Amino acid sequence: MNKLKVTLVVLLSLFFLYGCVQTNILDKVGLTTLVGYDKGSEHKIETTAVIREVNPEFQSKVEVITTENDTSKGNRMEANRRLSKKIMVGQMRVVLLGEELAKEDIRYYLDTNLENADVSNSIYMAVVEGRTAPFLTYEYKDIDDIGQHIYKLIEQNVRQEFMINATLHQIAHDYYSIGKDLAMPIIKRDQEFVELSGVALFKGGKMVSKLPAKDSFYVKIVRDTFKVGLYETILDNDDIPSKILQKPTDKITIAFDAIHSNRELTLVDAKKPEFDLDINIRSRVLEVFPDINQGDRKSVAELEKAIEKKISKEIARVIAHSQEVESDIFGFGEKYRSIVRHSNLTREKWHKLYKDMKVNVNVKFVILRDGVFE
Amino acid sequence: MTKPIQLSPKDMISAYLLFFIIHGAQVGVGIQGFQRIIYIDARQDAWISVLIAGIATHIVTFCMIKTLEIYGSNDLYGIQIDIFGKWIGNLFNLMYIVYCFVACFSVLRNYIEVIQAWLFPSIGTWFLSATLLIIIIYAFTGGLRVIVGVSFFSIILSLWILPMLAFPLKYSTAESLFPILENDFRSILKGAHSMTFTIIGFEILNIVYPFIKDKEKIRKPVHLGLLLSTLIYLAVMLVSITYYSGGKLVKTIWATLTLFSFISFPFVERFEFIAVCFWMIIILPNMCFYLWAAYRGATRLWNISGVKFVWLFSFFIFICSLVIQTRTQINTMNTIFGKVAFYVVFVYPILLWPIALLKKNFTSKKVKHNEQA
Amino acid sequence: MKFKLPFNKKQPQPINEAPKESLVRVASASDHFIQSIQNATNNPADLIIKLVPPNLTLIYIDNLVDIETLNNDIIANLQNKPHETLEEIEIAMSIPEIQHSNLLKETVESMVNGSVLIHVEGYSQVLLANIATRESRALSAPENESQVIGTQVGFNESLSTNISLIRRYIVSPELCNEKFKIGTRTNTSISLLYMNGIANDQMVNTLRQRITDLYIDELLDSAVLAEMIDDNSLSVFPQMLLTERPDRFCDAILDGKVGILVDGSSMAIIAPQSFTEFFQSQEDQNLRWQIATFLRLLRLTAFFLSVYLTPFYVAAVTFHYEVIPQAFLVPLSESRALVPFPPIFEALLLEFIIELLREAGARLPTKIGQTIGIVGGIVIGTAAVQAGITSNILLIIIALSALASFTSPSYMMGNVIRLIRFPIIILAGFWGFYGIMLAFCFILIHLLRQTSLGAPYMSPFYPPRMKEMRDSIVRMPIPLTAKRPALTRPKDKNKFKPQPVKPKKS
Repeated sequence: MNKLKVTLVVLLSLFFLYGCVQTNILDKVGLTTLVGYDKGSEHKIETTAVIREVNPEFQSKVEVITTENDTSKGNRMEANRRLSKKIMVGQMRVVLLGEELAKEDIRYYLDTNLENADVSNSIYMAVVEGRTAPFLTYEYKDIDDIGQHIYKLIEQNVRQEFMINATLHQIAHDYYSIGKDLAMPIIKRDQEFVELSGVALFKGGKMVSKLPAKDSFYVKIVRDTFKVGLYETILDNDDIPSKILQKPTDKITIAFDAIHSNRELTLVDAKKPEFDLDINIRSRVLEVFPDINQGDRKSVAELEKAIEKKISKEIARVIAHSQEVESDIFGFGEKYRSIVRHSNLTREKWHKLYKDMKVNVNVKFVILRDGVFE
Repeated sequence: MTKPIQLSPKDMISAYLLFFIIHGAQVGVGIQGFQRIIYIDARQDAWISVLIAGIATHIVTFCMIKTLEIYGSNDLYGIQIDIFGKWIGNLFNLMYIVYCFVACFSVLRNYIEVIQAWLFPSIGTWFLSATLLIIIIYAFTGGLRVIVGVSFFSIILSLWILPMLAFPLKYSTAESLFPILENDFRSILKGAHSMTFTIIGFEILNIVYPFIKDKEKIRKPVHLGLLLSTLIYLAVMLVSITYYSGGKLVKTIWATLTLFSFISFPFVERFEFIAVCFWMIIILPNMCFYLWAAYRGATRLWNISGVKFVWLFSFFIFICSLVIQTRTQINTMNTIFGKVAFYVVFVYPILLWPIALLKKNFTSKKVKHNEQA
Repeated sequence: MKFKLPFNKKQPQPINEAPKESLVRVASASDHFIQSIQNATNNPADLIIKLVPPNLTLIYIDNLVDIETLNNDIIANLQNKPHETLEEIEIAMSIPEIQHSNLLKETVESMVNGSVLIHVEGYSQVLLANIATRESRALSAPENESQVIGTQVGFNESLSTNISLIRRYIVSPELCNEKFKIGTRTNTSISLLYMNGIANDQMVNTLRQRITDLYIDELLDSAVLAEMIDDNSLSVFPQMLLTERPDRFCDAILDGKVGILVDGSSMAIIAPQSFTEFFQSQEDQNLRWQIATFLRLLRLTAFFLSVYLTPFYVAAVTFHYEVIPQAFLVPLSESRALVPFPPIFEALLLEFIIELLREAGARLPTKIGQTIGIVGGIVIGTAAVQAGITSNILLIIIALSALASFTSPSYMMGNVIRLIRFPIIILAGFWGFYGIMLAFCFILIHLLRQTSLGAPYMSPFYPPRMKEMRDSIVRMPIPLTAKRPALTRPKDKNKFKPQPVKPKKS
């Protein structure tokens, strides 16, 4: 009986050793940190991957590999054939899409990443102006690891609330929701630098338009609540109340820090539809040029008024633009769906409604304080 | 009436532990991905379905306790034999054992599927099922006290997962919940029906009842346990509906696990990888209780020893896990099992109560009659 | 699945001595008596036979008796004074412990224990004057369980000294002391100590039963006894506490536990003992409750860190590279780049080296011990990294977990922590987090299955006793811990009357 037990234990342990799993030892795999998709020839996908490798001889190396194949997994296999290490995507941080490709349909690229359990939901997505391959393979003078750099760049700007937050989760969320369209930052090469140059607007899975980077503030402010964000705006001559000026000038540049903002969206008329958009911004004025008298309560109030007017105008312009291209990146449709019972909203239906939607923008701007020196 | 089970006080457990038994037996693999099944039926009102299902568990448990109280100290197996006679009763008992077997197996197989999908696509099903079964056998041979202990620790040690639900709230929008009650009541009820697979497990009360020390005190812990489960399901559901958009939720297979994908700490990222493995301790009580419940029935039928039974039972589960391989098979199994479980867990106890009452009245009258005669 | 114990605890009392032998009487003639004693003891070199004229014979074993007492109180009193009867002799000697015996076996046994045999010519009875002196060292500080605040005295190897130490702490007639002899050849004395009126009778009975049921021929240390009377000797986790601190021993006894002292061993056994109590130090009682709570939590964290940190590293680096945050990714992979081994092998190797260092440090004489620190710290640590055998980060992790394992106040538990790490590392190296979880569940169930003297090992967590958690992984202020732990099922549940934390100012 005892002998039987011993043999059983030995057999069992052998049995378990057989159940070994394929290992992915950290230094034996090539970690893809960034993937860029482009439209290839004949319906193929061109993939550019930034892969980080560690070798004993040199500390770590970044390879940028461009491959062309029918599927993204096929591209991975092809890239594998060119590298000494197995390629893994579990540490991927950014997915870039070529502009040309974004204008077609991004659904496949969303789904392929959502499906893969290795890929995190918190990776960033962005559209590249032009094609991704030359953008990534360009040898930047001061950038060692282009993958890491782009990730840090986007993350930093999102944290600082300069740019809209476009993680895979949010993009998939917007893509699969009926009343909201997705938006992504646009990234481009500016000589030796990489910069975020604007916001891409999508209608369904297609990129339809873009807004300059400056407008991302307005997009953000309408899309969600805003915490800390620096913004600079220019008040033109006709916006400026003459009283507050110490000497005549044709424009005032104001930089402020939106400490807190919230938006409130109310549906006024479901038929048309018509929305009231109330935005409250509480901020800290950082810089005004040329100088105005901030000590005076009245002139501050006037300044607030002027900024309110300016911001509402800009917001109205951004919304109008998005309406023109039928891209509801602000989620008016979600609001409409959540209020109108049995709306049976579909995407087409909403886009039709959206075109003729009316929005009354109402901004309330409060200057909480300025700096430590008046 | 059949004579009540005789137990030594050493095997008995305190009534308040029922809180952990009920809750531990309920929460398991279902919670990993129940959202989408309910969302398909009830849309944004899925949380109402969860609530309805939760209330239903309270009602069913009420009936269960009433039925059990009629018999004093007996479990479902004994009650069935008493009500339906030896032959039909034993047939019912056998069916209940098979039910426990399938329940145990479906928990195991679903968990293995999750491990294979998230962590090790290449690992053999047989390996995972063998290792898990060994752990379960080890727990089972320790007796009911150890199983309840496992259930207790499984709850205490996994409490820290709950606060993790706060992380996705950052990306949640309350708008997704509105308009409330847009969907008709039928589809909401249908959603509640789909909760069956996730919410069952509390029927263990039927079997564990004779082992409770102070039987008059069981109501509070049992209903509190059910309440906690319902609250947890509700919280997970609300977070999921607000975090995902409808289209995405329907396409996400294990929505709870995907929720964790966002969570990162300075020392660890991709929290779902840890959560998937940690889930092992959450499913352990599930499987142990079903195994134990099956064993209680089997001892009545065949007078089999615990060790022998557990090896046989595990062997059959192991064989089954080799048979069911693909995702579609698993899904089919879950659907069929969910349907059967609905009748076993939700309908049957409600029917059993009046039958038991009638039978009791009948026999007591008969006894009286005999006495008079 | 019940494990059989590896040795027989219950064996019928062996019939190893013929009744004839035990009934041999003492010879009345002196030379016959001397001959019979020499035969019974195999005539050892230290057997001293002294004739005191006219009719007395003194026999004793050198070094076992106190020479001064022998000279001053026995020989001086007996010499040159004719004594006729045993009673007269007994009165003449100024010795408190004198016995009469007419059985040879009893006489020899008594002599071996340090008695002087006084035989009077013509009497078939001897006087046994017990003037034993036992070689033992002086009391010293407890070196294995040192603490900063608290008494600085530890048990030594003498049973009587140890009991006197305990009697000094607990001055009460309720302190029960039962004596047993274990070991057919060593005849080791054992004392079972407990508080009457607190300790649970059933537990005392169980322990008494387990001790008397033992049939072994030698017992040299209490650790051996502890292993033999454990509930599950096959488990790696100790179920009884070994301590060399009399204050800890007394505290446990006052909580209703049962203690065992073994002659010749400086460690006392305490049972029942729960798992969490192994992570408590007596010092916790002497510190403020906030600090004591912090220390206890620190030790518990150290336990988990020590057991799971290395496996976590192995699993993350081998399988789950996804969970490594980006900030760690580059340093981790670069430090691993030179290492030719897979992480599991690397970790096992380093763990092995650390264990070697520990073992060598424990075995080497103290004078050379310092060298080990240098060899371990500088030579192996630095050189191994430079040679590319291990990575820096793993070295830190291993050192940290080794350090953490030493924080357990019980050396036995520290050993367990270090040992169970190895299988977990192997599991982690093969199946990643799944393997770790498998080990975790296994250990959890294993702990749940254990009992200590029939009491649940995981108490007070399971079965959950909320009130007792006040003095488990945390230590609440003393007024809140008025109850004795239910683990011991004490007869008297309260240590004192619970009072408000802050007494009202009068």
